[in-house]
Amino acid sequence: MAFLILLVIYPTVYLWGMMFFSFHPARDPYPKFVGLDNFRILMLDDESWSSLLRTLILLSISVPIQIALGILLAVLFTSRYTRGSLILRILILIPMMIPSVIIGLNWKTILYSHGPLNELIKSMGLEPQAWLSMPFGNPSNTLICLAILDVWQWTPFITLAMVSAFESIPKDIYEAAYIDGASGFKIFRLITLPMSKSSFVTILMLRIIDSLKIFDTVYSLTYGGPGNTTTTYPFYIFKTGFTLMSLHPSYGYTALLSIVLLGVATALTTIIMRILKIDEILWG
Amino acid sequence: MILVKRGTLTTAITAISFAIVLLYLSPFMWMIGVSFKPIAEWGAPYFFPQNPTLRNYMELTTGAVYGVRGHFPSIMPYLINSLASSSINSILTTFLGAMVAYTIQRYRFGGTRLATWILSLRMIPPVAVMLPLVVIVKTFGIYDTVWGLILIYPLITLPLTTWLMIGAIKNVPRDTDEAALVDGCTEIEAFFRIVLPQTGAGLAASATIAFLFSWSEFLIPLLITQSTKGMTLTVYAAYFAQEYGVLWGPMSAAGVVIALPVIVFAIIVHKYLVKGLTLAA
Repeated sequence: MAFLILLVIYPTVYLWGMMFFSFHPARDPYPKFVGLDNFRILMLDDESWSSLLRTLILLSISVPIQIALGILLAVLFTSRYTRGSLILRILILIPMMIPSVIIGLNWKTILYSHGPLNELIKSMGLEPQAWLSMPFGNPSNTLICLAILDVWQWTPFITLAMVSAFESIPKDIYEAAYIDGASGFKIFRLITLPMSKSSFVTILMLRIIDSLKIFDTVYSLTYGGPGNTTTTYPFYIFKTGFTLMSLHPSYGYTALLSIVLLGVATALTTIIMRILKIDEILWG
Repeated sequence: MILVKRGTLTTAITAISFAIVLLYLSPFMWMIGVSFKPIAEWGAPYFFPQNPTLRNYMELTTGAVYGVRGHFPSIMPYLINSLASSSINSILTTFLGAMVAYTIQRYRFGGTRLATWILSLRMIPPVAVMLPLVVIVKTFGIYDTVWGLILIYPLITLPLTTWLMIGAIKNVPRDTDEAALVDGCTEIEAFFRIVLPQTGAGLAASATIAFLFSWSEFLIPLLITQSTKGMTLTVYAAYFAQEYGVLWGPMSAAGVVIALPVIVFAIIVHKYLVKGLTLAA
């Protein structure tokens, strides 16, 4: 407990305090009180807002695709006609567990301009794309690359979670519906979906919260570039606080950015905690 | 009519499912393929190496220079750092997690609020709290050591192990530890001698999962280590992308080396993993 308190209380106090100071170890001997100046910087800092916007765009591209694909696979895996469902589930677990950094490196070799993806596109008679390199390509492609990565990494999560949600639905409901002559699709729409709704909402919220953390893959796939085209909000915090690449290198400003992100995450977490019935899970 | 076709349909759908999953895994298989390719074939657009070689793996252990393409150091010190920090952290957080879980599950210590708080730590974006943590680690003089990692990792793993252990302890019949208490055990004895041995599989699973998560952690070692004294495998792998040019063979080999243990362990504990990640009861 003391452990967690040290790791949580101190950082919180530090962040809230540091917010009003200007300090960078490479520049200042001691923190200088600047009052609300960091807020002024935040208001005027276009790059901070565009990285937040970029994170939201990324999230709104990748999460719906993941959910659609994930549910599709989950339906396939739990179908009455599928054998070897356990093996399928174990195999699909793999992308989710590979360390994100490695996924970034892996996709770097795939997305490169003469890599397997472009060869595949060429063999289908389409125009190969410059996925990661700026000079000749479309800069928004890199953001799409990140979305592809995120989808690849996290679709299995949706699948596995939905599979366990589907399986917790009592079997006799299906049997009753089947005897009444309902078709497969109707059963899915009228029984499976409504009955796994609460798991679905939890999973959706978890994915949204986790998407706000996207950092490892950005670091190893693009390092926020080319230019700023893939600088997500967490990566922007990293840049401001821990590298010399930033326009505003200051711990105080980093603290303020962190608090903005923590605020968003806390709001979402509060919602998810309302949905989960903690009491029942703990002592039920 | 449906009855007649049922066997064919089963075969067809099963085949399609397996095909989809294998296709889905093909990016990872591509990396395995590249890791066995000699230098001339790294960028080549075919999966099977024409002249398969183990050179990429051999040179990972020694470090190597590839002419103008760059050079890279040996994987060994990083491997040792990763193993040490992950296993110590795994043991530590599993026991801490078990104890926290026991007090929460049996004595309702801190009520719903404490449980919610611990669980919500899982949702924190780590990058937002790293700044003060780096300051802590520097103040304690454990910057760039394995101990610094062990101090910070629980922030990621403790919520998970606590959550998993709550589930495991819930399954231990309450009568057994109450009987032990009646027979004169202290609460701590009851916990270590009666409850903990009965959680068996849950304990092993949460230790494994804690290991997996600290093994895969990237941001924390990136920010609080800077040399062979503390850097872990994930940071080592990332530097392939940033500093050593496009050494795809060794880079993919490193990726395979880092990913394989995770995959193997994840398969062993897959049942608990899904539970822990989705916050299912």
